[in-house]
Amino acid sequence: MIRLEHVSKSYRTSTRPALDDVTVEVEKGEFAFLIGPSGSGKSTLLRLLLREEAPSKGDVYVADLNVGKLSARRIPQLRQRVGCVFQDFRLLGNKTVAENVSFALEVIGKPRHTISKVVPEVLELVGLGGKAGRMPHELSGGEQQRVAIARAFVNRPLLLLADEPTGNLDRDISHEIMLLLERINRTGTTVLMATHDHAIVDSMRRRVVELNFGHVVRDESRGVYGVGR
Amino acid sequence: MRASFVFSEVATGLRRNVTMTVAMILTTAISLGLLGGGLLVVRTIDRMQQDYYQRVETVVYLSADLSANDPGCTTSTCSALRGQLESTPGVQTVIFESRQAAFARFQRIFQGQPELLQLARPEALPASLRVQLSNPARFPSIAKAFTGRAGVDRVTDQGEYLRQLFRALDGLRNATFVIALIQALAALLLISNTIQLSAFTRRAEVGVMRLTGASRWYTQLPFLLEAVVAGVVGGILAIVGLVVGKVAFVDRVLAGVFEAAIVPRLSYADIFSVAPILLLVGASVAALTGYLTLRLYVRT
Repeated sequence: MIRLEHVSKSYRTSTRPALDDVTVEVEKGEFAFLIGPSGSGKSTLLRLLLREEAPSKGDVYVADLNVGKLSARRIPQLRQRVGCVFQDFRLLGNKTVAENVSFALEVIGKPRHTISKVVPEVLELVGLGGKAGRMPHELSGGEQQRVAIARAFVNRPLLLLADEPTGNLDRDISHEIMLLLERINRTGTTVLMATHDHAIVDSMRRRVVELNFGHVVRDESRGVYGVGR
Repeated sequence: MRASFVFSEVATGLRRNVTMTVAMILTTAISLGLLGGGLLVVRTIDRMQQDYYQRVETVVYLSADLSANDPGCTTSTCSALRGQLESTPGVQTVIFESRQAAFARFQRIFQGQPELLQLARPEALPASLRVQLSNPARFPSIAKAFTGRAGVDRVTDQGEYLRQLFRALDGLRNATFVIALIQALAALLLISNTIQLSAFTRRAEVGVMRLTGASRWYTQLPFLLEAVVAGVVGGILAIVGLVVGKVAFVDRVLAGVFEAAIVPRLSYADIFSVAPILLLVGASVAALTGYLTLRLYVRT
């Protein structure tokens, strides 16, 4: 699903590359954590997968697309196959829960009857069936993240990228969000989650890819956050 | 592409920055109004030129001797001049006007002023060959060829006065276009600014659209259409402004001039013939500005 081959990414403003000769592969249907301290290259890696940036060297493949070589016209095709969730939710404050979710389908031109069918389904899936008409500011942080996950998942992406999705949430709520991501993973969607959250990584016992100074320093199939912790 | 979605986005954008939208529309309207005014002046001048140059003549005044002694243009000098004029390229007709005929015309023109008529003597008026040119621009070569010839007193061109008049009108037209241009520049900057502002106020939406894989057209079309709406509404206001200007100003102030047929009357047909130009210019310039702004300033 994801394949990076000798990928490096340098920024003009920095002498040290953000990613340095990274080779890693994530299979279809896998659930993997991407961990590492701030500045280790986690966000850069996610940005490369979304083609927010192109790699300086090497090849990035997502769902059989050579992401670095995509023409501007074809970038939307990539992003329609990849859902994203962020620490800060990024909901639209002037739209209701249901409108936030349907917005993601409207802007890629899905017909109205499809939208009116799948939006309630996905809201039900994330446990917000009764809150379709609420505004984001009326919801708790955990609920807002559920809306964001619903929006990321509503177009049934092959891959879900989550960048610190529990960073703003307390432990119990974080756990619920993880259960939701697991449920989404069980539908066949590959999940790659960048996180700092030791407790979650340790309790899930999933694959862990650790970055440090732009290098992959660890890749374990059933890992914990820190060795010996 | 779902049109209803795009249009609701356009409406939201225009409503959210309502003051900027109004400023953008008004500047566009003034600019297009001036452009329309300039185009109408051009049309009027063109029609006046056709009208006037058809009526004006180049006049070859004959010497005092010929005027006194050749009432029928029968002498060899006079008929030779006439023959040469007639065979000059660009000359349509040549009419001989004798001293008596000139005096008769003088009496007719000034019949309202008997004092003037009493003072006038036929001897004061020269006979002339009145030349109608198919192309008024041929005058200098004719003047050059016939000035100083035997039997010719002088060669005058009534068109010279008209040329001065038209130079003044051309100046008026150019001034209108210059102001329209400056105003257009202000309108362009405002459109560009409004689009940037609109994109900024909607950066959250645009961010979500990019990440969910909306195509560039889907992301940018609402902004582009906002600009085009401003251009078209500005164009409509400009046309309304021209109609109001005609009724309230031109028709009243220039009523006498129209009556005397000095200036051809400005009709609604004139305004409606420049209207599509204004709408087209408004829409396409706004669209182009919007497109370039999005290209240069807004990341997709």
